[in-house]
Amino acid sequence: METFIGLIQESISGIALGSIYALIALGFTLIYKATEVVNFAQGELMMVGAYVNFYFVTTFMTQNGEPTVGIFLIAFAGSIIFAFVFGWVLDWVINRPLKDEPIFSVIMATISLSIILRALVAMIAGPMSLIPYSPFGNKILSINGIIISMLDLSIIISAIILVILFYYFFNKTKWGVAMQATSEDPVAAQLMGIPVKRVYGLVWIFSALVATISGILLAPRMSLLDTSMGFLGLKAFPAAVLGGFGSITGAIVGGIIMGVIETISMGTLSYHFGWIKEMNDIIVWIVLIAVLMVKPDGLFGEEKVKKV
Amino acid sequence: MKGRYEDENLTWIPLLIVGIFLLPFMLKGITYSYKYYLFVLNMAGIYIILTVGLDLLSGYTGLISLGHSAFLAIGAYTSAILVDQVGIPFILSLVISPLIVGIFGFLIGFPALRITGMYLGLTTMGFGFIVKRLIIALRVWTKGAGGLEVSPPVIFGFTFNSDWDNYFLIFTCAIIAVVVGRRIGKSKIGRALMAIRDSEQAAEATGVHLAKYKMLAFFISGLFAGFAGALFAHTSHFISTDHFDIILSIYFIIMILVGGVSSIYGAVLGTLFIVLLDYLFVPELKDLIHGVFNIEGGDIQSLLFGLIMFLFIIFQPTGLYGMWIKMKIYWKLFPFNPKKRLI
Repeated sequence: METFIGLIQESISGIALGSIYALIALGFTLIYKATEVVNFAQGELMMVGAYVNFYFVTTFMTQNGEPTVGIFLIAFAGSIIFAFVFGWVLDWVINRPLKDEPIFSVIMATISLSIILRALVAMIAGPMSLIPYSPFGNKILSINGIIISMLDLSIIISAIILVILFYYFFNKTKWGVAMQATSEDPVAAQLMGIPVKRVYGLVWIFSALVATISGILLAPRMSLLDTSMGFLGLKAFPAAVLGGFGSITGAIVGGIIMGVIETISMGTLSYHFGWIKEMNDIIVWIVLIAVLMVKPDGLFGEEKVKKV
Repeated sequence: MKGRYEDENLTWIPLLIVGIFLLPFMLKGITYSYKYYLFVLNMAGIYIILTVGLDLLSGYTGLISLGHSAFLAIGAYTSAILVDQVGIPFILSLVISPLIVGIFGFLIGFPALRITGMYLGLTTMGFGFIVKRLIIALRVWTKGAGGLEVSPPVIFGFTFNSDWDNYFLIFTCAIIAVVVGRRIGKSKIGRALMAIRDSEQAAEATGVHLAKYKMLAFFISGLFAGFAGALFAHTSHFISTDHFDIILSIYFIIMILVGGVSSIYGAVLGTLFIVLLDYLFVPELKDLIHGVFNIEGGDIQSLLFGLIMFLFIIFQPTGLYGMWIKMKIYWKLFPFNPKKRLI
C-alpha cells in the first residue's frame, strides 16, 4: 500500500515536471512546425525568463518591502512584456539570417545561441545561485495521505490553462489560422496574402512567451536558480521525440510521460533496485534512443515521406 | 590514369613537416615559457586527430555528431585500463583502443541508418551523457568520478615524460592522421561519403551502399577519436569525466565549422585557431574584462566561442579554409577580378 501511495505521489510530481517539459517542448515544436528551425536554446529562453522575473521581483521588493502576490503579478507582467521583445529580437537575430541554411548550420547556430545566453546570464547575474520567490510558498495539500505541493498543482493548472489558450488561439483566431497555413505551406500561404515573415516573428514571440512562463513556474520548484536550469531544456527534446517531433499533442503527452518516467525512476524504482539510481539523470536519453530505434516517429508523429 | 594529387602543389608539405618538428627548438630559443606553449600545442595536436575524424563524419558525410567527447573518453579510458590494469604495451594499446572505439561508433551508427539531422544530433548527445554516466558507474575499473591516473607513454623502452617529448609523439601521430584523413577523403570512400551528404537518394541510385558507408563513416570517425583518446590519456597523466564534458563535443563542432567543413586542412586550421584562442587569448581577455567591467565569474570562454561560431555560420559559412581559397583566387586573378563573388 505504501508503495502504491508513493507511486501516486510520484506520478503527480512527475506530471508537474512533465508539464514543464511539455511547455518547453511546445515552445520548440511551434518554431519547428512553422520555420523548420530546431531551437536548441529553448531551455535557455526559459532560464532567461526565470532570471528576468527574479530581477523584477527583487526590484519591486526593495521599493515595497516583503514580496507579495501583487508584486509577483506585476513582475510576471513585466516578464511577459520582456518575452515579447526578446522573441521579436530572436526572430531578427536567428530566424531571418538562417532561413535557407542547411540543418547542420541551424542546429549549431541555436546551440551557439544557448551557449551565449548561458554565459551572458552568468556574467550579468553573477556566480551566486538565487532563491526565487513563489506566491505559493511551501504550502501543501493532503488528500487521503497523498501529499501534493501547491507548487506542483500550480504548475499543472497553469500548463492546462496555457494549452487551452493556445488551442483556442490556433484554431479560432485569424492569426492562429494564418500560422497553421504557414506551417503547412509557406509559399501558398504567401500567395494567399498571409504576411509570412510577420507570422514567423509571431511564432518566435510565442515560443519565448511559453518559455518565460514555464521558467517562472519552474524556478521555485528547483528551489535554487542558476544557469544549469538551461540544461533542462535539453531533456525536453527526448520528451518531444517520444511524443512525435513536430506534433503539438505529441509534445504535451510526451512531456508528461517523460516527467512521470523520470520521477518514478528517481523514487520508487531507485528505492527497490539499486542499479537504477546510477542512471537517474540519463534515463531520458535511454528512452530517447529506445524510441528512435523502435519507432522514430514517436507516439503521435506522422510518418514522413521523403521527396527527392 | 590521373593521380589523385596531380592538381595539387605538394612541394611545401615536406617543408611544413620539417617546420613542425623544428618549432619546439625555435620556441625554446625565443621564450622562457616555451613549456606552456608546447602544452597548448600538444592539446591542439590531440584535438586535430579527433577533428579530422569528426570532419570525415560531420563534414564529408553530413552526419552530425554532438557526442564526440564520449568517443574521446572511451578511447582514453580503454587505453588507460589496457595499459595500466591489463598490462599490454602502449604501442599495442594505440592500435586496440581505436578499434574498440570504432566498434562503439559502429553501434551508434545503427540508429543513424534510420534517422538523420536533428535526431542524430540528439542521439549522439544522449550517447555522450550515457557514456559519461557509465564511466562513473563502472568505478571498479575507472575509479568513478574521482578520476584515473595514467602512466606516461612508453615506446620501445623510451618513456615520454615531459611536454617536450610528448610534442614529437603527438605531432607524428597528428601528421599521420591528417595524411590518412586526406587520403580517405580523396578515395572512393570519401567520394561516396560526399555523395551521401549531397543527396542520399542520388547516392543510392548511383550504387553507393548507404548503410555500409554510413556505418563506415562512424567507424572511421571512432578510430580517429580512439587514437586521440589513447594519446590524451597517456600524455596528460590524469583523466576524469570532467575532461569529456558535453560542451567539449560542441567545441569540436565549432572547430570544424570555423575551419571550414568537409576539408581536412580546414579541420586542422579550425582546431589550431580555437585551441590557441582558448589557451593564449581567453585568459588575457578575462583579465581585461574583469578589470574594465568589474564583474565576477561569467564564462568568457563559452561566450566568445558561441559568438565566433554564430558569426561564422552567418557571415562565413565556408570557414577559414574557404577564406584562404577565396584569397588565393583573388590574387590569382588579381587585376581582372570579376565583380561578382565566385564562391
